[in-house]
Amino acid sequence: MYRRVTFTLAAMLAVIALTAIAAGAQNFPKVRELRMERATPPQGTACIECHKQETPGIFADWAMSRHAAAGITCLDCHQAQPGEQDISVAHEKYYSMGDLPMGEKQYFVPVAAAVTPKDCSRCHPDEAKQYSLSKHANTIEIMWKLDPWLNGGMNSDNERKTGCFYCHGTVLKMKDGKLDPDTWPNVGVGRLNMDGSLGSCTSCHTRHRFSVMEARKPETCGQCHLGPDHPQIEIFNESKHGDIYHAFKHEYNFDSAPGAWTPGVDYRAPTCAACHMSGSGDVATTHDVTERISWETQAPLTVRPSEFKPLPAATDWQVERDKMKNICSQCHGQSWIDDFYTQLDTAVEEYNEVYFKPAKKTLDELYEKGLLDKTKFFDEHLEVEYYELWHHEGRRARMGVAMMAPDYAWWHGFYECKHRYNKFMEEARHLIDTNTKAYRYPDFPNATGDPTRPAEIFGQ
Amino acid sequence: MERKTKSILLVFFGILIAFPLFSMTYYTMVRTSTPEFCGSCHEIRPAVMAWKSSTHVNNAQGFVADCMDCHLPAPHDTVDFFFTKTMHGAKDVLAHFTGGAETYDRAVMRERIWATMKNDQCMKCHRNILHMPGKRGAMLAHRKVLYAGNGEEYRCTDCHRDLVHNDRQFFEYKQFSAPYRANGLPNLGI
Repeated sequence: MYRRVTFTLAAMLAVIALTAIAAGAQNFPKVRELRMERATPPQGTACIECHKQETPGIFADWAMSRHAAAGITCLDCHQAQPGEQDISVAHEKYYSMGDLPMGEKQYFVPVAAAVTPKDCSRCHPDEAKQYSLSKHANTIEIMWKLDPWLNGGMNSDNERKTGCFYCHGTVLKMKDGKLDPDTWPNVGVGRLNMDGSLGSCTSCHTRHRFSVMEARKPETCGQCHLGPDHPQIEIFNESKHGDIYHAFKHEYNFDSAPGAWTPGVDYRAPTCAACHMSGSGDVATTHDVTERISWETQAPLTVRPSEFKPLPAATDWQVERDKMKNICSQCHGQSWIDDFYTQLDTAVEEYNEVYFKPAKKTLDELYEKGLLDKTKFFDEHLEVEYYELWHHEGRRARMGVAMMAPDYAWWHGFYECKHRYNKFMEEARHLIDTNTKAYRYPDFPNATGDPTRPAEIFGQ
Repeated sequence: MERKTKSILLVFFGILIAFPLFSMTYYTMVRTSTPEFCGSCHEIRPAVMAWKSSTHVNNAQGFVADCMDCHLPAPHDTVDFFFTKTMHGAKDVLAHFTGGAETYDRAVMRERIWATMKNDQCMKCHRNILHMPGKRGAMLAHRKVLYAGNGEEYRCTDCHRDLVHNDRQFFEYKQFSAPYRANGLPNLGI
């Protein structure tokens, strides 16, 4: 009897113990292993052995990447040529630290923290070349040529660094053998690097996974393309494309090889990249986001990309529109596509003629009559009203139409344009009729930014 | 004299005149195809000095690529080689005596050669550039060069520059240098 009870108890205990061990084992964190068994120079092995220990997050991220699968290691991107400007002086000391794995002089290689499109072009020349032509790459130049906040010094340096430059990019500089903290960290799409190349591939293909899957997802674009002045991600989410994406994305295959991502096979409805960048139908993949665009719906007055003064595109809008139509036709019939463009062209025409041009004409008249002051922008109410008419509602209306979001086309768009226009005109007419100078905000807050255009881009 | 004897004599004289002519030409060709000869013009001397310390001379394979190898068509394309060499020689001598050092700007000439150097020149030696398992990035880039699409054309010198004619303070042995990485495309920005 006793024996049976004991035996049963022992058996139960054994089962419980085994279950506990098995369950516990799953919760033991396991560090990713990597055996450097492929053709890697000893200097490259040194990077990996050391960073495995010092920055395990970076190492693990890279180890999951296609780069790791192809045997592309730290050196391939971070190794600098002797004499380059952005070599990290601070990094040199690690080669004489005996307590670090392989921290020995013989493995010394000059490295640079900031990897640039020029570095990427060593293996991905087409992508880098296309990107260099795009508005993404040249966005610092565009921003300085257009933007009254920067040119008028109407915001502070930190407001710019944390706001504008976060997406647009900084002009990288070195300070005391390190990247200047005023310009770094930054992965803006138009970052000016020390080697003269523009941009940062890691804006969309983030470190250290460099995934094509990530860049194919709308959320990636939505990091920058959101908010009151260019709500592309909100527009996408509201559109039928976005609705289908959210409903079916678990079925989407985001991992096909470059050039092989196929509508109808890999995805049911397009993402941003599917229409604007990925190869589809007869249209080749491009990293120049200016391609396939037939209107600049972000400009004050909507123009063709080739007429966009800050950076005229070397494209013919009709050719580009045909490319986009070819993309549409992967899923849509001809009349659907043609009629969509009819409504876009009408919206652009109406915005230009009915809203923007009269408002601009009135603004010019106010300046001409000396009722508005030209020295600073934003320090008078009408300037703000005019700005929001084109920069906020005007863009929302045009982009809402262009990307099929009715709420943005109307309620956040033309509906708001109407009211903004009326308010603007009421106040303007009042000033003109009574010949009154507009009230100027005497204490415009934090207007301390440097209005000097970066010499690295604009010359001295 | 008989006709036959006359013919034999003529042929004999022909050979007597032609062979020294031929061998002198050949001798001249060989003598003027050395880096030392190229460096006898003071404009070219710095380029030769820099080349001497480069990995195209100093490597574990004991391989040396000299001026001719890169800057002239292959000698087995005899006609092409002969005329290009003669043209170059005539032009350089003329430029040397009419212009002199002050008209020869090394920086300008570097850009010019990078813009005109044909890929075939490099690929006389670097023939197997698609199979480099230790450098798959380079394989990918080379694929773009050999099978360029969309009207794109890439030159070897787009990515491989500042390679040979750098003024160094030491001999850059390939086997003792950090792993070679190309520079990437020029002009991607400003």
